[in-house]
Amino acid sequence: MNGLSGISTLRRLWLGAALAGSATALAGAATADISPLLYGPEPDAVRSGGSLTYGSLVEPPALDPFHQGADARIRVTTLIYQGLFYEGEDGPIPLLARDFEVSDDGLVYTFHLRDGVRFHTGGEMTAADVKYSYDYIRDPDNGSPGAGDFNMIDEIRVIDDLTVEFVLTSPNASLPMALGNKYGAVVPAGTFDADGSRAAMNDRSVGTGPFMIREYQPNSFLELERFADYWQPGLPYLDEITYLYLPNNAALLVALQNNRVDVARLGRPQDAEQIEGMPNITVQRWPALEQKALDLDSNYGALSDERVRQAISLAVDKEEILQAAIGGYGTVIHTIVAGMQESWGVPRDELDFQGPDRERARALLEEAGHGSGVDLTLTTIIGYDWMDPAAVTLREQLAEIGVNLEIRRVDLGVWIDNFRSRNMGFTFNDWATQPDPNLLFFRHFHQQPQGADFRNWNNDVASELLRQGQQESDPEARRAIYRDFQKELARSVPTIMLFSADHVTVTSNRVHNFWQHPTGWHFGLVKTQVE
Amino acid sequence: MGAYLVKRLAASVVTAILSSMAVFLLVRAVPGDVVAQMLGQSGARGSAAEESLRRFFGLDQPLWQQYLSWLWGVLQGDLGESWVRGRPVAQMVVNAFMVTLQLGLMTLVFATVIGVPLGLVAGLYEGRRIDSLIQGFNILGLSAPVFWLGLMLLVVVSQTFAWSPPLIYRTPGRDLGQNLEIMLLPLLSLGVLQAAAYSQFTRQCVVSAFSQDYVRTAVAKGLPMRVVFFKHILRNIMIPLVTFMGLILIQILGGTVVIETLFALPGLGRLLISAIETRDYPVVQGALLLVVFTALLVNLLVDMLYHVIDPRVRVGG
Repeated sequence: MNGLSGISTLRRLWLGAALAGSATALAGAATADISPLLYGPEPDAVRSGGSLTYGSLVEPPALDPFHQGADARIRVTTLIYQGLFYEGEDGPIPLLARDFEVSDDGLVYTFHLRDGVRFHTGGEMTAADVKYSYDYIRDPDNGSPGAGDFNMIDEIRVIDDLTVEFVLTSPNASLPMALGNKYGAVVPAGTFDADGSRAAMNDRSVGTGPFMIREYQPNSFLELERFADYWQPGLPYLDEITYLYLPNNAALLVALQNNRVDVARLGRPQDAEQIEGMPNITVQRWPALEQKALDLDSNYGALSDERVRQAISLAVDKEEILQAAIGGYGTVIHTIVAGMQESWGVPRDELDFQGPDRERARALLEEAGHGSGVDLTLTTIIGYDWMDPAAVTLREQLAEIGVNLEIRRVDLGVWIDNFRSRNMGFTFNDWATQPDPNLLFFRHFHQQPQGADFRNWNNDVASELLRQGQQESDPEARRAIYRDFQKELARSVPTIMLFSADHVTVTSNRVHNFWQHPTGWHFGLVKTQVE
Repeated sequence: MGAYLVKRLAASVVTAILSSMAVFLLVRAVPGDVVAQMLGQSGARGSAAEESLRRFFGLDQPLWQQYLSWLWGVLQGDLGESWVRGRPVAQMVVNAFMVTLQLGLMTLVFATVIGVPLGLVAGLYEGRRIDSLIQGFNILGLSAPVFWLGLMLLVVVSQTFAWSPPLIYRTPGRDLGQNLEIMLLPLLSLGVLQAAAYSQFTRQCVVSAFSQDYVRTAVAKGLPMRVVFFKHILRNIMIPLVTFMGLILIQILGGTVVIETLFALPGLGRLLISAIETRDYPVVQGALLLVVFTALLVNLLVDMLYHVIDPRVRVGG
């Protein structure tokens, strides 16, 4: 029990505790230790039952949260599976954990679990299930794409049925966020013992979430039904959700017009123009934790010279690219995603090498010995609609400082292959994050072997800051460290973050209290209602 | 006939094995495999998770060994399991194929019922007004891209009747009404093209038959037109017409990708596309194997039909 002896801080993380008073009256949905911020805003009236149809252009390759890393999978399985925490916009909020304590040295986290949580399979959740689930995902031999998110864990100990201790190898402030809903979840102990158990997860859910799988027909639809024994009283409101997997935009727009679909998130935000003004539907824009970026591999040709990278950063007019790419349905960003700018970002005027300043860009190229011009190849991914207009716009912008851009479109599989072999060259990228700076930056930008350093940046200053940020648990000190990191990111330019595209959703008027989480995941459907 | 059948079957088996090898190698020639896709941007190459997944899928084995173990499975009737969906490939492929087959057969019937009579009439009344009308239809039908036609149908029908096809696919056995509702627009989109093609082909056959000696003879000796047409012309153009039927069927079975994608039908084309995108090798191999077998089978059946229709076709000699 030595882990418990040094405990001095008891933290209740949700900032919205004060709000709880006003919300408790509703549906009994919020009780003393359940944050009202979970799964979005409370509705103004209780309206239970009914089914909702969600039209989607992307389909999860599989529904297994342990072995499938695709964002399309995460969006949906956040309704079916749960981790110990929920990705609150201002930090992690206890979900299957009720609360937790951290030892003074930051190495031992003690989690108190919720009582009376049931699995879709019938059993009750205990500490043994929590230990099994996180031991399974962090073991690299089990092949989870999320294993790396848990490599700070040294040991997981069951204290009693509702108490579990996580012992870390070094302090890591991201642990609660990592125990969220992106990779893995709490499942019954022994879930993966049987042959074919991974595959079975496509037909039968074994989580604790508000919805369970009823029927899944790949390339067609997925039906979820309300989990009757769900632990949050009164939730979810809907009886069923049907996801329709539509192969193209035209089919989606027609389905919206004919009320075959109640909710859709537009793959191309600019398509909102086509349907805005249609009767009986509402189009909404939501801030996102995603970014469209221009990545610069320090091993690729002229980009090995920092001055060339800085010149490119100065030549780029992000606003113009945003307009060309998605018609302005987004926000220009600098060193962090739009959804985190307020809490973690650095104001633009405190960052160096922000464009457009083509005169200074040309001077830098001259200084680097490229006064007569540079040839570069820009890689874009086939099927990512925003990249084509953005590439053409970028080519024009870079031509003004003497950089000749050849555009090469590649298949996603090819692109991922290049990316993972740290051979990405000069390319557009499209990625998203959980609302935590360590999870956003560390793997991408820390030197090898601790980080993956996909862009071969190999920057000592940045790596040291990332190490400090990971270990610091005081929020203000953490903020200061990540601000310094972002300044280094802007100065040395391994990446040029361009813009965050808004999530644009369309809902029919029978849908109430719909809410879109900034990750793009479908948390909000837990409190969504239909007439 | 028996010897011929054995020879044809043997040739088909060789073709199937060669195609399976080609498919096996081609799908692996595309860069990026299922492991890379699963891991995405979550880690660099050479991680422990990557090694473990590679072992799990048997991708760490030499290529020839992977092929042989797959072939061994196929010979025992086991197409393996989808790496991404985890389901038996045979079940996935057959389910998807039934959707495509249903659409293919319905299109074939539609094209035959509309196309052949139109073609016969046009051929009989060559150069007259009715011929021009039918030829107009043929040219329009042949030149409108299927994708465009499908999209126009979808948009126009949706705007005019405020109706669009249901989006949850149901098999005819589970809900015939909904199944037909879903099939209607895809059938029309594909059917118009195939009917036009069939009509054009039939007209050509009739027109060229009229210039044949045996028809001239028949006409010259004063046989009524009805007899000339049904007894001589129709009998003789039957073979090319049946061949064309086979061609249409193969073309539809292999070419519904566009229409399945447009109308959200979970058929073989869409299965193949999604399997290629996710580098789900067992599914790609299984689906293509089925396509190859179907093509071989249809060809074989067409050959057999020749014999039934026209005993003059001597086989095996």
